[in-house]
Amino acid sequence: MSESSVFQPKRDEGTTNGVTGHALPGERGSRQQAEHSSSSTDYFRTSTSQIGMKAGMLLRNLLPWLAGAIFLTLWQLRFFHVLLSLEDYQLPVPSAIAISIRDNAEMLFRYAIYSGTEMLGGFLIGSLLGALAAMGASLFANSGRAAVTVLSALNAVPIVALAPIMNNWFGDGIWSRIAVVSVITMAAMAVSLFKGLTSIQPQYEELLSSLAASRKQFFWKLRMPHALPSLFAGLKINMSTSIIGAIVGEFFIASQGLGYLLSDQIRLANMPLAWSCIVIAAILGIVLYETVVLAEKRLLHWSRAHTSAQ
Amino acid sequence: MRPMFLRLLKPGYRAWVMIWIISIFVLWEGLAWMLHLFMSPQQATSRLPYLHVVMDSFFRHWNTLAEQSSVTFGNAAIGFAGGTLLGALLALLMSAAVWIERTLSPYVVSSQMVPVIGLAPIVYGIIHNAEWARIVMAAYVTFFPVIIHTLKGLKSASPQHLELMRAYGTSWRARYIKCLLPSALPGLFSGMKIAAPLAVTSSIVVELMGAPDGLGVLMVSSLYYGSAQAGMFWATIMLSMGIGLISYLFISLAEHWLTPWQPEFRPKGGE
Repeated sequence: MSESSVFQPKRDEGTTNGVTGHALPGERGSRQQAEHSSSSTDYFRTSTSQIGMKAGMLLRNLLPWLAGAIFLTLWQLRFFHVLLSLEDYQLPVPSAIAISIRDNAEMLFRYAIYSGTEMLGGFLIGSLLGALAAMGASLFANSGRAAVTVLSALNAVPIVALAPIMNNWFGDGIWSRIAVVSVITMAAMAVSLFKGLTSIQPQYEELLSSLAASRKQFFWKLRMPHALPSLFAGLKINMSTSIIGAIVGEFFIASQGLGYLLSDQIRLANMPLAWSCIVIAAILGIVLYETVVLAEKRLLHWSRAHTSAQ
Repeated sequence: MRPMFLRLLKPGYRAWVMIWIISIFVLWEGLAWMLHLFMSPQQATSRLPYLHVVMDSFFRHWNTLAEQSSVTFGNAAIGFAGGTLLGALLALLMSAAVWIERTLSPYVVSSQMVPVIGLAPIVYGIIHNAEWARIVMAAYVTFFPVIIHTLKGLKSASPQHLELMRAYGTSWRARYIKCLLPSALPGLFSGMKIAAPLAVTSSIVVELMGAPDGLGVLMVSSLYYGSAQAGMFWATIMLSMGIGLISYLFISLAEHWLTPWQPEFRPKGGE
């Protein structure tokens, strides 16, 4: 919290929602939203004075942190427990969760690495397969589009059902979860990339065909560059689904990992440790997602689309 | 060359979908046959049973399957509706008051990077009522995609249109009904399309955590019997996939009906 207030004075007056030095996940998101909305919000507040705007902006940047702090404080003071008539063993207070994270730091770290390996492995394999499928499908007009439609049915497969199947196929090791994650990420990538590869303005196609471009040139000079934002949109969707896939996959049959620890500790009614798994998984998710966003910003600085998530 | 090509595309596309589905089924049978060649029947069946075996147990246990899946689907649908309503309302609230948006948007945005379904066992532990746990989880996973995409839709309202309406001195109600809500609808629908299969999955996860009834329970119990019930197990998976698909298609259909002005729904080939 103090971090964000420290950065306020450095802010350039000219830029409405300028770049601050830190990359806190929530803050980034809100900045994006704000950039997105600047046109419509400016419109409602044209009459406010310059100083008022500056103070208002400071307040608005602090608001999310304030809300989070109030939420945590109320939770710590057992406000929700009274409201929903819960006991401590059902919903542990934040301090208990923090203590549990500290006490089990070593194990949580090890399991986070394990689950992270599953996520990344499945994410890479699935995204690659999906991308290859989309590229192949984009070469054929009718059958390709139909194939992607059929493939998109994989999106509807409940992740939980995949876990036992993959367990039968690949044993109960790390590969079964990697397979689960690969299957669920493949479809999203194929759909997203295929959309990017095929939704090309007819003018560009006409230009290239009037220049007598070959099929290969069509693909590499027009379709691929045009599809890169969609590729990253697919990667972003896949990053978040791969986390769900790995955690849910571990609910079933696993001897390691955050999902395993989560379901195991719930069975033992050790709620603080179960909640620490959720917290660690959330942090892992945010870090990996941010990595993809950062890679997109680096590689696709020319694209206007990169600010809109998904 | 293009327009004629596009006009021919429609029936060809439908036919190709059928061809792909049939070839997947053929591939399935072939793969199962190959597995049966190289492995013992138990091993092969637990890996991939013949499609006709799955179909057979699907129709034989149709009553049980229909009963249990209606429980799962019913709770998921109630939760889905509730989550959509809450998400849409909150998105409207966020678009109306900037300070609410500023406060909540970081949490809404980061929610999509967090494994929300992981909370299912915890929610079930807190509520201890299978029905309510399913409804709450379905609503919970629906809530975030809906809010994100509805807000995006509201933001996509053209500033020129809004300016014009302001110049004409229209009331805020007219502004919402005539401009903001129509531009939010496509966003709402894309959020709902993402959320629908997730809602079904989340209620199945709750069932796996020890609910008394539902498709997830059927899945676990048939898994327990191993290869003897492999057909039943695969039938439950096919059914849950079918429920997810049907809910997705239903929303797509509703989208087609309610927002016919979207570019991808316009008749093709005329341009």
